[in-house]
Amino acid sequence: MELLTFRDQLFAEGEKLGFTDLELYYEKQSGFGCQIYKGEIDDYRSSTVNGVSVRGLYNGKMGYAYTEKLDEDSVSFLLDNIKENSSLIEDDPQDLFEGNTNYEKIDFYSTRLSEISIEEKIDFLKKVEKKIYDYDKRVVQTDYAAIQDQLVEKALFNNKGLALQDRNNFLFVVFSVVVKENDEIKSDFYFKLTKDLHSLNPEDIAKEAVEKSLSHLGGKSYSNKTYPVILNNFAASSLLATFSPSFSAKSVQDNQSRLKGKIDHKIASSVVTLVDNPHLPDGIRSGTFDSEGVPTKQLTIVEDGVLKTYFHNLKTANKDGVEPTGHGHKSSYKDSVGVSPSNFYVEPGNKSYEELYAGLEEGIIITSLAGLHSGANPISGDFSLAADGFYVKDGKIVSPTNQMTIAGNFFELMQDIVDVGSDLIFSPMDSYGYIGSPSLTIKGLAVTVD
Amino acid sequence: MLNKALIEDVLNAALTTGGDFSEVFVEDRFTNRMSLQSSKLEKSLSGRDFGVGIRVFKGLNSVYAYTNDFSKEGLLQAANAASQAIQSTPGEHNIVLPLVKQTVNTIHPIHLMPNSVEKTRKLQVLRKADQIVRDYHSSISQAIIGLLEEEQHVLIANSEGTYVEDTRVRSRLVVNAIASNEHDMQTGFYGPGRYQGFEFIEELDLEHYAKEASRIAVTMLHADPAPSGKFPVVIDNEFGGVIFHEACGHGLEAAAVAKNNSVFANKVGEKVASDLVTYIDDGTITNEWGSINIDDEGEKARKNVLIENGILKGYLIDKFNARRMNAESTGSGRRESYKFAPTSRMTNTYIAPGESTPEEIIANTEFGIYAKYMGGGSVNPATGDYNFAVNEAYLVKDGKIDKPIRGATLIGNGAKTIQKVDMVGNNLGHGAGMCGASSGSIPVNVGQPMLRVSEITVGGKEAN
Repeated sequence: MELLTFRDQLFAEGEKLGFTDLELYYEKQSGFGCQIYKGEIDDYRSSTVNGVSVRGLYNGKMGYAYTEKLDEDSVSFLLDNIKENSSLIEDDPQDLFEGNTNYEKIDFYSTRLSEISIEEKIDFLKKVEKKIYDYDKRVVQTDYAAIQDQLVEKALFNNKGLALQDRNNFLFVVFSVVVKENDEIKSDFYFKLTKDLHSLNPEDIAKEAVEKSLSHLGGKSYSNKTYPVILNNFAASSLLATFSPSFSAKSVQDNQSRLKGKIDHKIASSVVTLVDNPHLPDGIRSGTFDSEGVPTKQLTIVEDGVLKTYFHNLKTANKDGVEPTGHGHKSSYKDSVGVSPSNFYVEPGNKSYEELYAGLEEGIIITSLAGLHSGANPISGDFSLAADGFYVKDGKIVSPTNQMTIAGNFFELMQDIVDVGSDLIFSPMDSYGYIGSPSLTIKGLAVTVD
Repeated sequence: MLNKALIEDVLNAALTTGGDFSEVFVEDRFTNRMSLQSSKLEKSLSGRDFGVGIRVFKGLNSVYAYTNDFSKEGLLQAANAASQAIQSTPGEHNIVLPLVKQTVNTIHPIHLMPNSVEKTRKLQVLRKADQIVRDYHSSISQAIIGLLEEEQHVLIANSEGTYVEDTRVRSRLVVNAIASNEHDMQTGFYGPGRYQGFEFIEELDLEHYAKEASRIAVTMLHADPAPSGKFPVVIDNEFGGVIFHEACGHGLEAAAVAKNNSVFANKVGEKVASDLVTYIDDGTITNEWGSINIDDEGEKARKNVLIENGILKGYLIDKFNARRMNAESTGSGRRESYKFAPTSRMTNTYIAPGESTPEEIIANTEFGIYAKYMGGGSVNPATGDYNFAVNEAYLVKDGKIDKPIRGATLIGNGAKTIQKVDMVGNNLGHGAGMCGASSGSIPVNVGQPMLRVSEITVGGKEAN
């Protein structure tokens, strides 16, 4: 069934049943992904999936349901379930957003990206993979040599007349390289998200991916103690992503954030400014309206270390008596509306990564963190995480380390940031938002080396 | 879910460019998620997922297309899109037609289908659990009780003549307790789940699970930071098995083995673990969370012995990796949904019980760490380096359990750790979890009796 026919039927049936407010959220994702292994296509996938979720006010209470099957059966499946769900929900109801006139007119869709052929993408992978093998004889294989593109189209309708549409497309490549010397096996990877495949140079990617992997060979153990630590941009962005739910007004109102009551307080070192920009041209989370139809705008969350605002959706804003910030978010049509950043990042400083560690008398550089889903407590801020990286002495990298753990507390770490680099990147971990950071120098963290 | 003639057309269309195997996976899934927070039902979400995945092989090339356009045109278009990626000389293709439906032997009985039970009855269980958590201790500041229910109907057909349908039903109760004081918040978690209907939730020992989650949160609120260094570590049963899930299980999956991307590749018949270790993956255990009647490629569930008394016996193999390995499927092809091509995955994986009693293991440990409840972890399959978190831990001193410690993360290398298992208990237990990998997030059980590893690196805040 066509989307608009489905919408009209749903709204008509719903109103007949006594629903006062109805909202239909639609999302369609189309993608192509491919993986090469030793010159052969090892994995190839193409997809088109769409689905809708519906919110409805019945007897003054809100219920939800979703479906991927747009047919007549689903209209009654949705309405029946919303009715039953709404009768049980004890949360305060939230009126739907009627819309306003402040929507930016930005199209995040790149026609140029959509015109790149599958053959060209596969050729690109094969070229990079070959250059990786040719670069150094210690390369055993590529764990991943993959490309994925994605087109996301969204629409939001309600029976108050709101009708909005947005679309965004992007592509990413990942090359994970396994290297071996004697009995030591190490791996690292190259990841890049872009709207412009032609801006990527296969030679440079192969060099970076292999050099990064080789740099971990020859790992040594160092004494367990508190070191000054540089979280490189990749590690820093994944750590910020893990703790980003603390900035949500939902977490604050649910007593699950240490940032409760901290508006206008200094929650970080004064070198730290955190920005949310929903209009970044290359942002995965870029869009002109949020999942409830609220217009999005750029926002400073932390300014020179001072917390200025939380992220809000309609309901949390209503509860706090503030304006919604445009951060109502559904991870997909399967989800109810939560709160999430869009493209959220630490504003870069002036020093390069090399300049940051040149300033360390003795210290540890962290290049990647593992176990973020298990070794970090997003509420208390405590973390104890597996890490890879390097030992630094007198401003120079001495050697890679054996596997390490770093332990600390995110909220203390924010206060202990002494320097912010210029090398902003975004984390490929995107379930919390599209989250970025440059490399950060931290005064001290407990490090244990295997 | 789809008529036979259409399935046959799709299987045929997928082979027109020379593919040598085609498969159709149809899924119709109903989900309920309820969540009680601050003693209020905050979320009650119902949904229906429906879609079709089409897979084609040609030698060692694999192509996957999925869609939820279930019209004849939509499906044939997806099949053609998949076949276009196979650029071979179309010849006479092998396909077993007409399809004949095979009966699936249902080894996991279901009594109360989730959709047949009113949600008010479900809400009563959530409220009871919420009350137990809140009554546990004055420092409990929040309780979040969740219920997850799924009814997944699948149809799997392939060009080799497989044509089966199955219904999987899973239910899980998730208890999160939060304890706090002026400067700190700690959480406790317990999430029992089974391949069963609402009968499992209603008969659950709520007192036990809700109190344990609360006890963990309150205990950890008063725990000291964990020490750093290398120690003997005693890991308790049930979810403790997550260490071997990460450290060995993933390395025994064909996805890693077939490409030589595992420390266990090419080592069948060799000693890879301590003599005390027998490691088994068994999808047939009645109604367990990770159990299946058939896998997502239509193969019957089975019991696979992976390591026996320290000797590597075999791997977990799916149909595609079986080609690269010249082996047969072991009934291990699994996927989250039609949005994923299946690959080799675990079901219920566990270390078989040994001889020692838990008391003996603790009494024999002069100084070390007792990991009572494990959190999650991850592994780099290429190197075998793993990490995982401990949700509730204690120091062991002079053969006795001492004070609680928190923030302990265990790191190490899987291949080395399984050689260092020096005591295995007799109290096998299983714990439910979700496992994420290239074919998505799937329900698995991890399991083991209490056991001891002679040395693991523990990373904590107290650097020595």
